[in-house]
Amino acid sequence: MSVIKIDRPGQSVLMMGNEAIARGAIEAGVDFSSAYPGTPSSEILESLARVAEHFGLYAEWSVNEMVSLEAAAAASLTGLRAIVAMKQNGVNVCSDFLMTVNLSGTKGGLVIVACDDPSAISSPNEQDSRNFAKFADLPLLEPATFNEAREMTKYAFELSERLGLPCIIRSVTRISHSRGNVELGELPERKRSPSFEGVSIAGAFVALQHAALHQKLEQAREDFENSKFNWYVGPEGAKFIIVTSGTGWFYSREAVAALGLDSEVGILKIGTTWPLPEKFIIDHLKPANELLIVEEVDDFLEQNIKVLLAEQAKTLGPIEVYGAKSGHLPACGEMNQDKVAKALATIKGVEYSGRDEAYAQRARELVQPYLSPRIPTFCAGCPHRASMWAIKSALKLDGRDGFVTGDIGCYSMGAGPAGYFQLKTIHCMGSGIGLATGFGKLGQFDFNRPVVAVCGDSTFYHAAIPGLINARFNNSNVLMVVLDNAGTAMTGFQPHPGSGIDALGEPAPVVDIEGICRAIGVPVKVRDPFELDEAIEELYDLLQEDGPKVMVFRRRCHLAETKERPQKKVFVDPDKCIGDECGCARFCSRVFNCPGIIWDPTTKKARIDEIVCTGCGVCAYLCPQGAIVIEGN
Amino acid sequence: MEAGKGSTDLEKEVLNAGLCTSCGACVGICPYIKVVKDRVAVIEPCGITDGKCYDFCPRTLTDISELDRRIFGQERSDSSLGPYISIEMAQAKDSKTRNRGQYGGVVSALTAYAMSKGEIGATVLTKPFNESLMPTSVLVEDSSQVLSCAGSNYIASATLARLNEAMKQQTVSLGIVGMPCQILALRKMQASKHENGSKEVKLAIGLFCTWALSYKSFHEFLKGKINPSQIKRLDIPPPPANKLVVVTEAGTLEFPLDEIREFVKPTCGICFDMTSEFADLSVGMVEGVDDWNTLIVRTPEGKMIIDKAKEDGIIETKPLPEANLSHLREASLLKKKRALDEIVKRTGDKNNLLYLRLSDAELRKLR
Repeated sequence: MSVIKIDRPGQSVLMMGNEAIARGAIEAGVDFSSAYPGTPSSEILESLARVAEHFGLYAEWSVNEMVSLEAAAAASLTGLRAIVAMKQNGVNVCSDFLMTVNLSGTKGGLVIVACDDPSAISSPNEQDSRNFAKFADLPLLEPATFNEAREMTKYAFELSERLGLPCIIRSVTRISHSRGNVELGELPERKRSPSFEGVSIAGAFVALQHAALHQKLEQAREDFENSKFNWYVGPEGAKFIIVTSGTGWFYSREAVAALGLDSEVGILKIGTTWPLPEKFIIDHLKPANELLIVEEVDDFLEQNIKVLLAEQAKTLGPIEVYGAKSGHLPACGEMNQDKVAKALATIKGVEYSGRDEAYAQRARELVQPYLSPRIPTFCAGCPHRASMWAIKSALKLDGRDGFVTGDIGCYSMGAGPAGYFQLKTIHCMGSGIGLATGFGKLGQFDFNRPVVAVCGDSTFYHAAIPGLINARFNNSNVLMVVLDNAGTAMTGFQPHPGSGIDALGEPAPVVDIEGICRAIGVPVKVRDPFELDEAIEELYDLLQEDGPKVMVFRRRCHLAETKERPQKKVFVDPDKCIGDECGCARFCSRVFNCPGIIWDPTTKKARIDEIVCTGCGVCAYLCPQGAIVIEGN
Repeated sequence: MEAGKGSTDLEKEVLNAGLCTSCGACVGICPYIKVVKDRVAVIEPCGITDGKCYDFCPRTLTDISELDRRIFGQERSDSSLGPYISIEMAQAKDSKTRNRGQYGGVVSALTAYAMSKGEIGATVLTKPFNESLMPTSVLVEDSSQVLSCAGSNYIASATLARLNEAMKQQTVSLGIVGMPCQILALRKMQASKHENGSKEVKLAIGLFCTWALSYKSFHEFLKGKINPSQIKRLDIPPPPANKLVVVTEAGTLEFPLDEIREFVKPTCGICFDMTSEFADLSVGMVEGVDDWNTLIVRTPEGKMIIDKAKEDGIIETKPLPEANLSHLREASLLKKKRALDEIVKRTGDKNNLLYLRLSDAELRKLR
């Protein structure tokens, strides 16, 4: 049973941050939810979809974050409550709409959850989405605890509704993906019925709209002055105060305690970080003459506090501010207790050694023997490994120094050894084909290297179609390879328009990739990448053709496949394996490099790792000696 | 044969130097070297420093005298045509075979005959114009399928790749029909210290060849002029015609040879062998005679098949007129001289003959 469904108000339940956000939405009586999957945000919509039927709410995986926000905004315009969740890159995708719907305004509560991925553990970039709140003049909330994530979400709906503005919640990986106690609130009766009256138009009397937006933001500020999400702990009249938000709250508390500074350092925790509750902050900073600002990624809070200090210089007098600018804390990467403690210790001149380096070294040494040496790679049985080998082969055969522009998905690992270093560019979703259309038009400047753009199936729907249309419209010499593994694999195999099921697991129409390509007027071929020789030849042939063309490499993610079907047993016939000799030279374990194949240095033969092998069988196809056997074949 | 070189050297010295004949000798041995159409590439270095691929290649060091001694037991006395037992004219007695074949139908007739007699269990042949300009190499296991592979291609397909594949699985003795470079590669395989099953190739029929076309550029040239999938036959009639005749389902087109020569594979310019000098039997056209072939019998194995085939009424032979023979010698010698000139032009050193190693005596005769 889903934890967010439990109807026991007052009970404390262990929840993931993203579940707490979903629970907050349920407690606010959310009607409509939409998202495009992206780490660390995906579990919000997944949680809501799981209880959608139970609560009678609507949940969808949208084709991208822009559409996702637009769909949610539509519900809001009818007076329904809507939530939309995305990772930081998604905020960029939807920002065009965001920068106009702030002007036109909304009706029912509309909450945008932006989950940032500091240190880019699962992202192509590191970005602080809080800047969008300031940029778009929208109220911003930053949960610091799991229960706060629930409470803030619930409150965000009310605030949004009161102001007629979308409200942004900024989470980060360690809030979204960690678990903590969440106190359950009441589950409301849902009673809204939608109606759409009047208009929702940005661009009419924009200056007036913009001025009105600023006024709404002032209302938010007033609301924030008395917010329960802002508080101070520490000695009264502390001269040294840490100002923090989000994860910085836990880290700061731990650091102060670790250094034994509880009696002299206060912590001012701000949950409503835009617009700042100025009076609240000024009141608490009056006794201070030193501040340390602790936050995650950009010096967003730091800069805004500094502006406030400058404005209040007469009242507050000179205050020294430590943080990113002073070099005491980084304005990039994940924050942690250790970084805060070190900064605090430096400023306060106290001893702090953090984790002993010798201890860390010993821990590494103890663990090392149990770890298999492994580079980031595709899973055993991943179709991308074969696709990358096919692309590499075709480009080599073509002989014109062709290269691959990459995109966002599991196949991004194709830039490294997993994909034989084939990808030469990686940026944002859809940029692979976009860049390729440009590279493919440089012939008049004597740049004639063939360009192959790869993108996943989910990426194709999300952002690649305009690039392909551009390639067709401007007749760019580009070969697009759609690596269709039948799902949004990297984020957990969420359905997409090609999956045939929707967010609730119900049957959905399939949007046909080849059909789209054909309608654009681009020749398209479809091939199972495990049929490697044919795949290579067809890619080669396509590379010889001018203009845009598409190859769809279609094979389902083998991890998803093995969940549904029993896997075949694969083994190496040691009598046939020639190992190091000419004719093989350990191709399977050394070059093709599937983690399911191991080189046994004692027997000098390849061996299948039965634990890792998913039984896909492509190695049996590739083995030059026919030494790899699939049981039953 | 030079030792201690592998795929990386093959890539550098042959593929990147434009010497590859796309014979396919290096393909199908390992997962590292691939061929598509007539393009061969080393996809990834294998790290082996003493590789079959390098050893088998007809464009790595090739000692002509040593091969002569190995195959024929002695060095050649005829510098223009290589070692042989006899040179005659021949034709298939079966008119259907003759009509389907390029000239006298001798290759098809002999291949089918050798298979039906059990001399060879299967043959690697090249099938032209199977709905594509690019020919495909096939393993024919039934003599009745031989005729579907009749006809000249003028585009090199990687025949030996198919042979390599066949040798991995095949337990029967094999035959092959190939161009001079392919027959040379086969002989290098058979002479190599690397065992690969090529000793099971019992009948090598070599074709005469002046050059082959590069698929890519020729295909591009034909694009828009004809539909390549409709080609039925290519022919270069004897001089002074000086043209390429393309017979298609939609009609016949002719192109001046000078226009076509642009698409000749660069490696053909350094080729030393017009008449498949290392084959058991070499077969080509007879100038001025449409339905006969020139047949050069080179080895006792070749002679045995010819004798039997004549006895069984499969082919008939008659003497090749002296004028034709001297013409053949001239043409072959001209190809050798041109190749030597071209090689020296490329290396800039008259002692550096790239892949060729010739005895001083042989070299003197040619220069």
